[in-house]
Amino acid sequence: MNSKIINSIKQFVIAVLTIVLALAVGAILVRISGNDPAEAYTTLFRGALGSKARISEVLVKMIPLTLMALGMSIAYKAQLWNIGANGQLTIGAILAILPGIYLGLPTVILLPLSLILSVLGGALWCGLAAWLKNCFNANEVITTLMLNYIATYFLAFLVYGPMMDPDGGGFPQSKVLPDAYHLPLFSAQMRIHGGIVVAIIVILMMFFFWRTKLGVKIDLIGQGDKIATYAGVNVKKTVMVAMLISGALCGLAGWNEVYGVQYRLLEGLSSGYGDIATIIALLGGLNPLGIVIASFFFSALLVGGATMQRMTEVPYSVVDIIQGLVIVFVIARTAIHFGWPQKLLRKGKKDA
Amino acid sequence: MDNLAVSMQGITKIFNGVKANDNVDFNLRKGSIHGLLGENGAGKTTLMNILYGLYQQEAGDIYINGSKEEISSPIKAISLGIGMVHQHFMLARPMTVVENVMLGKKSRRGILLDTKETATELKELADKYKMNIDPYSKIWQLSVGEQQRVEILTAIYQGADILILDEPTAVLTPQEANVLFDMLRHMKADGKSIILITHKLEEIISIVDEVTVLRDGELIGSKLVDEHTTKEELTKMMVGRDVLFNFDKNKKAPGAVKVELKGLSASNDKGLPALTDFNLTVHEGEILGLAGVDGNGQKELCEVLTGLRKADGGQFLFKGKEVINQPPVFYINSGISHIPEDRMTTGLALNWSLKKNLIIKKFHKAPFSKNGLLNQKAIDAYWDKCQKEYQIKANSGEDHARALSGGNQQKVILARELDDHPEMVIANQPTRGLDIGASEYVRQKILDARNDGAAVLLVSADLEEILQLSDRIAVIYDGKIMGILPAGADTNTIGMLMMGHKQEEKA
Repeated sequence: MNSKIINSIKQFVIAVLTIVLALAVGAILVRISGNDPAEAYTTLFRGALGSKARISEVLVKMIPLTLMALGMSIAYKAQLWNIGANGQLTIGAILAILPGIYLGLPTVILLPLSLILSVLGGALWCGLAAWLKNCFNANEVITTLMLNYIATYFLAFLVYGPMMDPDGGGFPQSKVLPDAYHLPLFSAQMRIHGGIVVAIIVILMMFFFWRTKLGVKIDLIGQGDKIATYAGVNVKKTVMVAMLISGALCGLAGWNEVYGVQYRLLEGLSSGYGDIATIIALLGGLNPLGIVIASFFFSALLVGGATMQRMTEVPYSVVDIIQGLVIVFVIARTAIHFGWPQKLLRKGKKDA
Repeated sequence: MDNLAVSMQGITKIFNGVKANDNVDFNLRKGSIHGLLGENGAGKTTLMNILYGLYQQEAGDIYINGSKEEISSPIKAISLGIGMVHQHFMLARPMTVVENVMLGKKSRRGILLDTKETATELKELADKYKMNIDPYSKIWQLSVGEQQRVEILTAIYQGADILILDEPTAVLTPQEANVLFDMLRHMKADGKSIILITHKLEEIISIVDEVTVLRDGELIGSKLVDEHTTKEELTKMMVGRDVLFNFDKNKKAPGAVKVELKGLSASNDKGLPALTDFNLTVHEGEILGLAGVDGNGQKELCEVLTGLRKADGGQFLFKGKEVINQPPVFYINSGISHIPEDRMTTGLALNWSLKKNLIIKKFHKAPFSKNGLLNQKAIDAYWDKCQKEYQIKANSGEDHARALSGGNQQKVILARELDDHPEMVIANQPTRGLDIGASEYVRQKILDARNDGAAVLLVSADLEEILQLSDRIAVIYDGKIMGILPAGADTNTIGMLMMGHKQEEKA
């Protein structure tokens, strides 16, 4: 038990160091751009956490990021590199909004129904990649990435075509959902919405997930096909289930965006959240608590960064650069942690 | 001193406060083969890495051909005529043999490569020592044995008169090992001095002129090897106590037939037939030793019996019921244990804790799973029990399996596979790569399982192991059973069958 705690502390310290390192390099860049790093970071910090409303903004961003990062963590634990979170969110959002716009059901029926549809949509999109992997040994990195494009352009097709709002002045967006369907707000001044309840439930479930039979199985296939098969785990089935859950959580994030934030479909709905969620999952060490913390950090960075751009001369691209730096440092750490160099060497030997 | 190629005196090497070598003397006579014997971790490789300039000693002197030398790097060692062949080959796989030899060597043609000249010289050298090597073949096309020859050739080409071989036979089949030994004898006749690091006693007795034994980093002694040298005395020097070479195997009548294989056939990974018309029965309370040279279908057989590979045809009767081509979980639930050949990829999840490795096949069953969640208390208790019972040396059950020595890793697997009183045990090369102490332990546990009533299929390329443990001996060759012999059968007879010579009808 002791070494477990030490291990978690170690991981936490490394994660914090990663962020500090990224902020430090970011500070140098701010300096080079002729601004004062201290002022920039103070503005960024205030912009993220300076008032209740700001914190509410951070939470609004945290909901989809956390859901998707948790979804990613399930796939990554199984060494399935799902990078299709954006596409899965998009398909989830499309399926979720359909009954809201076209069916006119009572709210009590519509909200659960749309939630289920979003989960199915995300799961379907990710499960497609799992199916291709199981049947044709197609690399999931490629397929999930490609499915992103299909989802993105399908969404574009819908909002420019059949689903375009006739009274929208030609903007590429769908009709707005009726007010009754909007997820309830906690305060009229703030955007934080009822979706957070769903997110909290998912987070709580994830705290137990890795101790369930399914969680152990998914973890085990991440240790290698051979050992998993040897231990009696049906690898293909578990790959499929892991990917379905991974996609389902991304689809759920889509439901949140549609019913809690945007209230409509619009082009570029995913806002690249999927990419950030990938970083969050890795920075959080695939551990639910770590993911929540990392997700908070990134949400604050996004919200604060926007303020920083408005209030100072520092361009928003600094935020992008900090994100990029975190990715580089996280990947460097992950590569060492998972022993990629050795693995590649071994693979080379086997191929020969 | 004149007749000594190498003399190392009072060598001490300390790693993190631990003495890997403690005041060790080592003398290699010119033109002799010298065995360096010891269990894993005894400090053999450390001593030789010092000689080859990879490590610097904290204390002690090294004399090469009588003159004192500071060996600061492998380059210095090579210039002194010392060559080393590591356990893991240092070859560039996409390149040819001659290209590998030319790496790190100045060309005689300036900026152009002297490939042709080098290849010719290499060929001559290879022929001299009866190594059949084409300088232009690519490394990846060569078998492990041939790659080893390339390593040796490279060392000699660089001018080595003193050759260090680190566990050279660990990766070889018995036949390849014999070829290697022939080559070493040629080199010895040619005046080269050879150091052979090993923990295999047969090798010491069959080829070595003199042996030096290390234990826990200390010199135990050196002695000349002759026909009177016995394994027992070498073992005693190496382990520090007597080892049971003859297990106390109470004779008992075999029980009922537990496993019956009829006309089994299966293919290997390349889709070629690995087993053809394979017939075998294993009884309750019996160890059936399956002898054979590696790669004759043993691996495929074990995989078919555990559901890891689909059979192409035939029958697998377990307790009288047909159970062929079921998923692995079926065999696990039927009480068929499997000690796989490859600990590292199949037997253990190396990045998992030892505790979790113990329950890898039963995490979903009570008491390890409670209300759908892992029951940490039960898991902790089970680890404590198994650690004691199987004498697993580890700091904590939370350690990753990766952190353990081979012997202790195998003990974790034994605990997992044998603790539930299995109906059948399939042990594939259970002591491969283990030192004598650990091997003895593993064999004892397998015997215990047999005495406990399990039907044991012991697959091993180690004939000695087969002879020690088996109640009956089956010999496999090219995916078929060549013959079944009683315990204590003659080694020659088994050897002939292993080479594919069919048993006489009367036998």
